[in-house]
Amino acid sequence: MPGIYVYSDKMKQAAALIGLAAQSGKEVCCITMDSNQAQELKQYGPDRIIILNGNSPLPENYAESIAQLIKKEQGELFLVASTVRGRELAAKTAGYLDCGMVSDAESLVFEDKRIISSRLMYGGSVVQKAVISQLAVVTVPAGNLEAVQKENAQVSIVSLEVQADPRVRLIETLAVKKDKIDLAAAEKVVCVGMGLDKQEDIKMAEELAQVLGAEIACTRGIAEERQWLPVESYIGISGAKIKPSLYISMGVSGQVQHVVGIRDSKIIAAVDSNEKAPIFRAADYSIIGDMYEIIPLLIEELKNA
Amino acid sequence: MSRIIACYKWVADEADLKINPDMSVDLSKAKGKISDYDKNAIEAAVQMAKITGDEAVTLTYGSKKAKLSLKDALSRGPSEGFWVNSEKAEQADGAASSKALAAAIDKIGDYKLIICAEGASDTFARQVGPSVAARLGIPCVSSAIKLELCENELKISRKLEDGIEIVAAQLPAVVCILPEINRPPIPGLKSVLDAGKKTTREYKIEELGLLESDLSARTETIDFKAYVMNRKNIVLDGETAADKVKALVGSLKKEGII
Ligand SMILES: Cc1cc2nc3c(=O)[nH]c(=O)nc-3n(C[C@H](O)[C@H](O)[C@H](O)COP(=O)(O)OP(=O)(O)OC[C@H]3O[C@@H](n4cnc5c(N)ncnc54)[C@H](O)[C@@H]3O)c2cc1C
Ligand SMILES: Nc1ncnc2c1ncn2[C@@H]1O[C@H](COP(=O)(O)O)[C@@H](O)[C@H]1O
Repeated sequence: MPGIYVYSDKMKQAAALIGLAAQSGKEVCCITMDSNQAQELKQYGPDRIIILNGNSPLPENYAESIAQLIKKEQGELFLVASTVRGRELAAKTAGYLDCGMVSDAESLVFEDKRIISSRLMYGGSVVQKAVISQLAVVTVPAGNLEAVQKENAQVSIVSLEVQADPRVRLIETLAVKKDKIDLAAAEKVVCVGMGLDKQEDIKMAEELAQVLGAEIACTRGIAEERQWLPVESYIGISGAKIKPSLYISMGVSGQVQHVVGIRDSKIIAAVDSNEKAPIFRAADYSIIGDMYEIIPLLIEELKNA
Repeated sequence: MSRIIACYKWVADEADLKINPDMSVDLSKAKGKISDYDKNAIEAAVQMAKITGDEAVTLTYGSKKAKLSLKDALSRGPSEGFWVNSEKAEQADGAASSKALAAAIDKIGDYKLIICAEGASDTFARQVGPSVAARLGIPCVSSAIKLELCENELKISRKLEDGIEIVAAQLPAVVCILPEINRPPIPGLKSVLDAGKKTTREYKIEELGLLESDLSARTETIDFKAYVMNRKNIVLDGETAADKVKALVGSLKKEGII
């Protein structure tokens, strides 16, 4: 039966995608590999839920089965939430289906016979709009989408025996201790960049954050390369997107891949020693100067304010 | 000895984009570069080949502009550079690129491992690697931060949102690496000179058994415009650092932020 297929390895995002797909007015079929999740997802009212029964704990190993299912049922669209697993599964499925794929669609407009998608290119400098008019796979950053429950929905649930790809097997999972940081909800954010000389100088940023009542964030390099702050702390195209009333940066050059994550801030203030730093083009208020001189003065000034 | 193939894309440097008054984007003046994280992919291939005794090679799908990339790529250590040369690459989407790359990998043959980066600097679509794997019918592991060869399996640490996962993949396979996997050195003068002596191989798409129409984008771009950012762009002036700081605090107060 033609329609939209949705999948996410994260329950909340799967629920949100069901709602997004329903906007099309087409039949919505939710795919899962877990019968408990199927029961959970029922309340969001997809038309159908298909449980894929295979013998791999890795969802990515079901890409070929999903492609076969969509081909057989002549599906029109496969919507997947942009998580690490979701992106891989989606791109593999697109490869098996030999169809087009739009990654990380910021918006999807369902028209009669086509879908208009938009996504960012060149790190966020450019918005690309594209028309999807045949079978395609689309990934959507669904982390902030709300799921809507549907009362008394008639949901058909079926199980399908499938062969998961056995060639990648799970050896072990090491959960990383998560500091609960929710930058997306932060009211104020102090952001440190690679201009910071030493790890212990983060204290200076923390002090500023404390007087402002702000959360600490950073650029990708501080989290991934230097590992001075947890990875949840970095902002940008591959990190968190924030919308605080104030974002203030120190030693952040402001490359577009970072700036794309701060664009929804109400006020952007930046301190950087390089007057040509692109962050100044993205900022409301800029101070050109050495942060080791500016930030301590700022902390004092704010304390007295 | 088999091949470890690093895929890299020759992209326009986003720092050189020019925005026209009507917000259209001018790429004509932009210099080309090897996509940032693809340098990590090349380095990962070189490192792995050292351990396994295999041969690290590079592969790119690009227009004639990409010719410039071959020496740059080879100066990073691989022994041979493959280039699928077609003007179609200028308008490629992930479907077309993965199709061209898979066909080339098939042609190159005798491969043990294909290494792509997480995402290219221009598209950052994070789709070409897994799609190549599906088209070749081989396994894929994305988000890799560590690779270890054990017998005929590759042990891979991958970074997920909430932890690290360790998986084993049968070879041949595609892995998509995150930049944290290594720090690619800047090639020295000797490496650059040596690169000039290495073999490069150019394929036309017909040699790969593909038609022009196979490499058309599946999604039609209808708009390609600069993102508009309206900010106050006020640089706070003052004789001393303290004056600038006072001006900032004053502005934030006026905004009602503090
Ligand atoms: C595909 C892709 C995805 C990416 N995704 C992200 C992402 O999600 N998030 C992200 O952040 N980055 C991302 N990046 C990386 C991004 O392009 C930049 O490299 C990165 O944001 C730069 O970080 P930075 O500003 O901390 O460091 P730098 O660019 O090194 O800037 C450091 C700044 O500190 C200033 N400075 C130095 N000393 C001082 C001082 N004493 N006082 C004041 N200023 C000082 C310098 O003038 C400079 O402007 C991505 C890149 C690619 C290619
Ligand atoms: N035209 C190309 N030539 C060679 N490799 C490519 C090409 N396009 C994409 N890749 C590889 O696939 C990765 C992901 O690209 P993308 O899916 O576009 O973000 C890149 O980092 C490269 O390793």
